[in-house]
Amino acid sequence: MASAPSKQYSDDVSVVMVLLDTNPFFWSGANNTTKVSFSSFLNHVISFLNSVLLLNQLNQVVVIATGYNSCDYILDSSTSESINLSLGNGKMPALCSKMLQKLEEFLIRDEQLSRENLPTGITSSLLSGSLSLALCYIQKVLRSGRLHPNPRILCLQGSPDGPEQYVAVMNAIFSAQRSMVPIDSCIVGAQHSAFLQQASYITGGVYLKPPQLDGLFQYLSTVFATDLHSRSFLQLPKPVGVDFRASCFCHKNTIDMGYICSVCLSIFCQQRKKCSTSDTKRNSIEIYNHHLLPVAASG
Amino acid sequence: MPQVKIIAKNFMDMVAALPTLKLDKLYENTFICEAVLRSLPPLAKKYALQLLYIEEPVTAKSMEEWVLPDGFSKHRVAIDRLIQLRVFIENPDGFSRKKETSYKLNPRFQVNLQNYTAHGGVLPRESMSSSITVRLPTAEELDSYALEQWESFLLQLISSGQIEKTTTSFSPSMMRIFQQGLVSQRDREGPRLTESGFQFLLMDTNAQLWYIIREYIINSEDRGVDSADLISFLLELSFHATGQAYNTSTLDEVQRSAVKDLADLGLIKLQQGRKESWFIPTKLATNLSVSLSDSSSRKEGYVVVETNFRLYAYSTSKLHCEILRLFARIEYQLPNLIVGAITKESLYTAFENGISSEQIISFLQQNAHPRVCDRAAPSVPENVTEQIRLWESDLNRVEVTPANFYDEFPSKDVFEGACDYARDNGGLLWEDSKRMRLVVKAEIHTLMRDYLHRQK
Repeated sequence: MASAPSKQYSDDVSVVMVLLDTNPFFWSGANNTTKVSFSSFLNHVISFLNSVLLLNQLNQVVVIATGYNSCDYILDSSTSESINLSLGNGKMPALCSKMLQKLEEFLIRDEQLSRENLPTGITSSLLSGSLSLALCYIQKVLRSGRLHPNPRILCLQGSPDGPEQYVAVMNAIFSAQRSMVPIDSCIVGAQHSAFLQQASYITGGVYLKPPQLDGLFQYLSTVFATDLHSRSFLQLPKPVGVDFRASCFCHKNTIDMGYICSVCLSIFCQQRKKCSTSDTKRNSIEIYNHHLLPVAASG
Repeated sequence: MPQVKIIAKNFMDMVAALPTLKLDKLYENTFICEAVLRSLPPLAKKYALQLLYIEEPVTAKSMEEWVLPDGFSKHRVAIDRLIQLRVFIENPDGFSRKKETSYKLNPRFQVNLQNYTAHGGVLPRESMSSSITVRLPTAEELDSYALEQWESFLLQLISSGQIEKTTTSFSPSMMRIFQQGLVSQRDREGPRLTESGFQFLLMDTNAQLWYIIREYIINSEDRGVDSADLISFLLELSFHATGQAYNTSTLDEVQRSAVKDLADLGLIKLQQGRKESWFIPTKLATNLSVSLSDSSSRKEGYVVVETNFRLYAYSTSKLHCEILRLFARIEYQLPNLIVGAITKESLYTAFENGISSEQIISFLQQNAHPRVCDRAAPSVPENVTEQIRLWESDLNRVEVTPANFYDEFPSKDVFEGACDYARDNGGLLWEDSKRMRLVVKAEIHTLMRDYLHRQK
């Protein structure tokens, strides 16, 4: 007997959430040793977006800009305005002109925010915020209508991890895992990202740091354009090593060893009398070692 | 709904069967490239994308390294399809010196899709401004128009004997072409649906549409129209935006005549302004190429089947009534409700007409009313599905085997020898030792005859 109709489209229809790192401190060059300009990076990404849309009529792409202070949706291919405007101004197709316009507005707003609170220390992007935005959007897709496409998230990350976002990012990762949304990560910066290594590892996504960025499109189309259905029979990059280190809750440092509260699992870099999260007395705070407790520390 | 895939695949097979020159010419049109790419299996799509910016041929061996051992059969299917449709060219010139097989993207296809990824998708033609087109139909109006048009076409198709009013402008000869294989014309009895005709009616709209379109294209050559032109227009049509108006003057001669036929099928709506005329693609048209890869346009169901074999169909459509009548006894029709019952007699007529129990059950399941679908229980009660299957197997109790009858044996010994010989050859069906009669399968008749001759 045929089972009840599945709520998913068959095979390869996907909605791809692309998180675009627009951190000005990364792209302006101080940290940027990769020699890829923001504009050529955008070119590759736009080609990638187009090719995802090309693969299936029902495919959707949503782009979220991850800034230094804020994050926002800058493109949603499913809204009608992006279709109707396609012939708006001859040369530039509406999809990317609309996106570039929104990106510019976003960057200006983001910059204004950073004038108010000047950056100190590590200039990381607001990854936790954009991951949460992406997950919210995916929840909306999953709950609407009779049929929905397969969602996945792609992080295009350049700037280094912000240890102060550790808890928020981990929460986002676990909620992605729960709703079975893989998080793919493509690192365009110089260093590996421990957050995204963990994210891709836990959610079953692909983590890749392309050695050469001039051919970014080829990496994107070869690895990250693969729909979830085809992934089960293709050779894709495997994780080489995952950095499971956690950040402490008190000073937001990444630590190898520390102290963990046995009640709420909060992690601290120094021994303290009382857990600041759950008010537990000191004697129940134990030693934390990330080699012993890889993932459970946050679960 | 596997039927759509089969039929749609047949459509792409038709494209693949075009001569090389014509196919290459088709690939000059970006929309064809797009539609062909989307019709490919997922893995094949991915390969095409992966080779998009690679100018050098890639050896088959290195491509095999892309897949895991599990996916090898899928890999083969993907590559075969790509070659069939000439998206991949095997051993391009100048590279065939080496012994290895290698593939390269069709250059026209490659250039078109490179443009696509660089500039994004565009619409085939500009829609008309709303100042000229006075009032465009709303989405709902357009949908109901398309449905109405399609249903009246189907009604006419199955009941050509008693056409009440000619709603479509298809010439009788055109209609006869569509009916080929679906309806058998016997002079006295009037038209009768054939086995495949019944199956056609139970398919979902997209599958039916593809079937008709395929017939339409196959017969285009007789009307002096190049099938490649028609294919390209149809595929292009599916990239128009639903509900937008497009000027008819942008069409060429072939397309303009096709537009009229397509309007009869409900694919597009024609409207006439003061000076200009325009066409508006409906959902049926824009779904065409979607359903090539995916059958997503699941319609809202309308049938409720109860455990007491009664059947309620919330529908005003005459066509739905006709379809249900194929296998159920229609008892009465209310303005928005058709009430019937699935009876042994009604099913027997269906089975006689060549409809299988599985088809009926899957039709009932696919068209189940949303309220029934949402329940945890199966959408069609199990006792009903079981009974339908049982009634069908009842009919198949008698098996026909061609056989020969042997009589008047000279002696008991000869008779028994013959029986043993037939049994040894696995052909003995029946024996009556008292009256010395014997029935043997027809396939060993010659062996039997030789044996009996030898006994004499």
